[in-house]
Amino acid sequence: MEKMSRVTTALGGSVLTGRTMHCHLDAPANAISVCRDAAQVVVAGRSIFKIYAIEEEQFVEKLNLRVGRKPSLNLSCADVVWHQMDENLLATAATNGVVVTWNLGRPSRNKQDQLFTEHKRTVNKVCFHPTEAHVLLSGSQDGFMKCFDLRRKDSVSTFSGQSESVRDVQFSIRDYFTFASTFENGNVQLWDIRRPDRCERMFTAHNGPVFCCDWHPEDRGWLATGGRDKMVKVWDMTTHRAKEMHCVQTIASVARVKWRPECRHHLATCSMMVDHNIYVWDVRRPFVPAAMFEEHRDVTTGIAWRHPHDPSFLLSGSKDSSLCQHLFRDASQPVERANPEGLCYGLFGDLAFAAKESLVAAESGRKPYTGDRRHPIFFKRKLDPAEPFAGLASSALSVFETEPGGGGMRWFVDTAERYALAGRPLAELCDHNAKVARELGRNQVAQTWTMLRIIYCSPGLVPTANLNHSVGKGGSCGLPLMNSFNLKDMAPGLGSETRLDRSKGDARSDTVLLDSSATLITNEDNEETEGSDVPADYLLGDVEGEEDELYLLDPEHAHPEDPECVLPQEAFPLRHEIVDTPPGPEHLQDKADSPHVSGSEADVASLAPVDSSFSLLSVSHALYDSRLPPDFFGVLVRDMLHFYAEQGDVQMAVSVLIVLGERVRKDIDEQTQEHWYTSYIDLLQRFRLWNVSNEVVKLSTSRAVSCLNQASTTLHVNCSHCKRPMSSRGWVCDRCHRCASMCAVCHHVVKGLFVWCQGCSHGGHLQHIMKWLEGSSHCPAGCGHLCEYS
Amino acid sequence: TVDTSHEDMIHDAQMDYYGTRLATCSSDRSVKIFDVRNGGQILIADLRGHEGPVWQVAWAHPMYGNILASCSYDRKVIIWREENGTWEKSHEHAGHDSSVNSVCWAPHDYGLILACGSSDGAISLLTYTGEGQWEVKKINNAHTIGCNAVSWAPAVVPGSLIDHPSGQKPNYIKRFASGGCDNLIKLWKEEEDGQWKEEQKLEAHSDWVRDVAWAPSIGLPTSTIASCSQDGRVFIWTCDDASSNTWSPKLLHKFNDVVWHVSWSITANILAVSGGDNKVHTHSPWHGGHSLLVFTPPTREGT
Repeated sequence: MEKMSRVTTALGGSVLTGRTMHCHLDAPANAISVCRDAAQVVVAGRSIFKIYAIEEEQFVEKLNLRVGRKPSLNLSCADVVWHQMDENLLATAATNGVVVTWNLGRPSRNKQDQLFTEHKRTVNKVCFHPTEAHVLLSGSQDGFMKCFDLRRKDSVSTFSGQSESVRDVQFSIRDYFTFASTFENGNVQLWDIRRPDRCERMFTAHNGPVFCCDWHPEDRGWLATGGRDKMVKVWDMTTHRAKEMHCVQTIASVARVKWRPECRHHLATCSMMVDHNIYVWDVRRPFVPAAMFEEHRDVTTGIAWRHPHDPSFLLSGSKDSSLCQHLFRDASQPVERANPEGLCYGLFGDLAFAAKESLVAAESGRKPYTGDRRHPIFFKRKLDPAEPFAGLASSALSVFETEPGGGGMRWFVDTAERYALAGRPLAELCDHNAKVARELGRNQVAQTWTMLRIIYCSPGLVPTANLNHSVGKGGSCGLPLMNSFNLKDMAPGLGSETRLDRSKGDARSDTVLLDSSATLITNEDNEETEGSDVPADYLLGDVEGEEDELYLLDPEHAHPEDPECVLPQEAFPLRHEIVDTPPGPEHLQDKADSPHVSGSEADVASLAPVDSSFSLLSVSHALYDSRLPPDFFGVLVRDMLHFYAEQGDVQMAVSVLIVLGERVRKDIDEQTQEHWYTSYIDLLQRFRLWNVSNEVVKLSTSRAVSCLNQASTTLHVNCSHCKRPMSSRGWVCDRCHRCASMCAVCHHVVKGLFVWCQGCSHGGHLQHIMKWLEGSSHCPAGCGHLCEYS
Repeated sequence: TVDTSHEDMIHDAQMDYYGTRLATCSSDRSVKIFDVRNGGQILIADLRGHEGPVWQVAWAHPMYGNILASCSYDRKVIIWREENGTWEKSHEHAGHDSSVNSVCWAPHDYGLILACGSSDGAISLLTYTGEGQWEVKKINNAHTIGCNAVSWAPAVVPGSLIDHPSGQKPNYIKRFASGGCDNLIKLWKEEEDGQWKEEQKLEAHSDWVRDVAWAPSIGLPTSTIASCSQDGRVFIWTCDDASSNTWSPKLLHKFNDVVWHVSWSITANILAVSGGDNKVHTHSPWHGGHSLLVFTPPTREGT
């Protein structure tokens, strides 16, 4: 992770240059403080007290203030502060309760200046007055705060917090006489330095110790406090009662808090345990840190911004015996990592989308956070480019329908529920499904069904109202009827000699053919014209004489002894294995070289993806001409199914697979079929279409699939008379030879829903038992059992 | 538009298996569940328990009950469970050293397994072993700097289902994809000894990979993964030949901004992509990969 950028900032006169760097200290640091020239930093700890120069590339040790062979406890520092007006003046708080000042201007090696031994216990904090050169404040574990005038030998005044230890003291930057102190009991006190008798104000800021506080460098009256309750709170102290404006939740207790220069809402925090990182928060975004410095390996004990007007350099000291300079630019920014958007496809094809609302939207539309309402000016301020994000973050969550006006996946549900997959002749199934598809506005699917019907149903069996579908708009009953008559006649006329015999003569059949194709073409040309008169009239007149024969070809009237009559395989339920009997392979040979074959092939291929009723009709026409056996289309149908499956319409693939059954099964490899089945069943179950799903499982030809609903279907039944398990199949008990499924209420044999108590084996009609149980909880058979039904 | 009343940015929104409930998670540390049936939006639960921004949520398959997993910046993964209408924390996994960015449940056929990708570079796999116990496996250093996304491959059985008599658990090969800050997409496979091994490294992005999504295998003959990145590009990876396991990328689109999310429709025929422009683009990656529709969330003007 090489991220070594260099930052140079010119701050009126002085220039700050530097990069992220660190140096090893001899001992853990407890506190750091920066000289006002921003070029030196002092590090203090239990056994360290050194001044380092901050150079461009590194820290350079300049001075070790810990002199003498046997350093006294006075040198064991809990805190250190560098005077912001006098470069030579430092103060430390010793763990033995002594407050020491240091004068770097002293010529001797020992720079120690004054010693105040007034506190009884550890001094936690020292603080210089921001503008008054000689005023020093201290806060101690003994519960007292003392104000020293450095020109005098002892304290000027003592402030009693009337409570446990003082954790932090800070002079207000704006109000000359005011300072804040924080306490272990969760209180914050505000004092006037002239009135040591009692505090100006006191309030409970945190639950548990308040470890630190920091006055906002610009905003008069903003005080940030940090506590063991893992919270940082920003208070407005200008109002009569301190008002909580912001609250930031961190993941560990807050040991130090420092406002970031030039960034009004930013503050840096570090923790005294668990968490070693330093965070910079935007108080308006209390949940995600704006930046995070992860360099330290142990608890960070001191943080300080290098220059009061430069937001990019942060210095820190740590228990891991290192001193670091962090560059804001190099910080990891969890906000940047964060996904500002959430996206999810719903089941019905709707999209849920959550996106960050831009600041602009927030400005114009939304109410800002309550805390900001007081400062609407903020929104107009030009945003600091150093800020990693622009103001408030909130998200708008929208749900889109992907198909405007339609219900997304609604078609899937409708189709699944309405498709007929078995139990009727193939042609009817195809017609029904085509109709369903068309009603749902899925024309391509409808066309496919119609095509399948034409391919797989031998022409003689085409029921009426067929072309009705292929033409598209559901015309009059008369015309399509005639059309199909015509087709029926035409195909055999061309296809086989025997059928030719049955027609009235060669010439005659030719005419019919010509006429019918003319009809078809007419139909194509004006597919919208419902029942155009010309062909209808013509056909009526022409075909009249053949009606008897046509009836012979009808499934119902077919003579079994007629060798040429192709029995409707579709009449059988599809799940039965039927030997496919194509109308005769010899026809294929007859016409294999005919130009029609290649033509029709090309046609069909071209229309597989997007077909129109025009091409469809011409294809069907060609098919009848050439009398191709359905086998011929196996490959084509397979490709078609693959096409639908790839489009995500596995429903179509499976439905066709089931409807066509044996006709296509052999063309598609078992694994693919299985995959389609399982995918489709999965989908059906997601849509809670249990019945459809079950039907599909039942109808599936794949063993692996059909065994899906055979898992755990065994019921163990006891005979209601002899109470022994029934071993044989059926409802007659082997032992007592009585029917076990008698209703205990009406004493009839139960057919249909049977409910029984697992305790006493008695039961009966669901209705009867339910009624019985309304009045009594005992078994209706009178066995005395308190029946339980779940 | 759903009013979530989240107090900060929403990072993820996920619909459950039946499309009836929507779970959202936000920087405000909360996870919320809404009933969105019939166009309504009723807040069912407001789950508090994370101590940092919650990045992602994931619904488990309903056959295991109502279970939701969430992962957060606080380095924790929490598994929530509904019992008698109330949602409660059922398990907390604190095995990561950094923010956990992504969670994803394995296909239900494998049992209850959760993959979690974290900024510490590791991916952990939590497997429910019954009685409230979870077994943890960890892939250390899966992605240097961090893992941003995990996505399971659909359950596919080697060979035909037919070889396995009903009732016996078929021998699934478990796989998932992960995307990380090393600009890579990695494919992981469970070895026979139960250890996870890097199977493939897919390299095409020039910046952090933000999201990966393995397409549901409905009707598709090939394995397909969509990935998106900080570099603005969306790739569709396909593996036509499972035996050689070679994957080829196809650039679907190059956006001018970060692409945060990719999401497949349940039939895998449409890919939704959300980018830095705050819009959702839907693409049909097949047959030319043309863009279909662009959705723009309504601005909150006047509300």
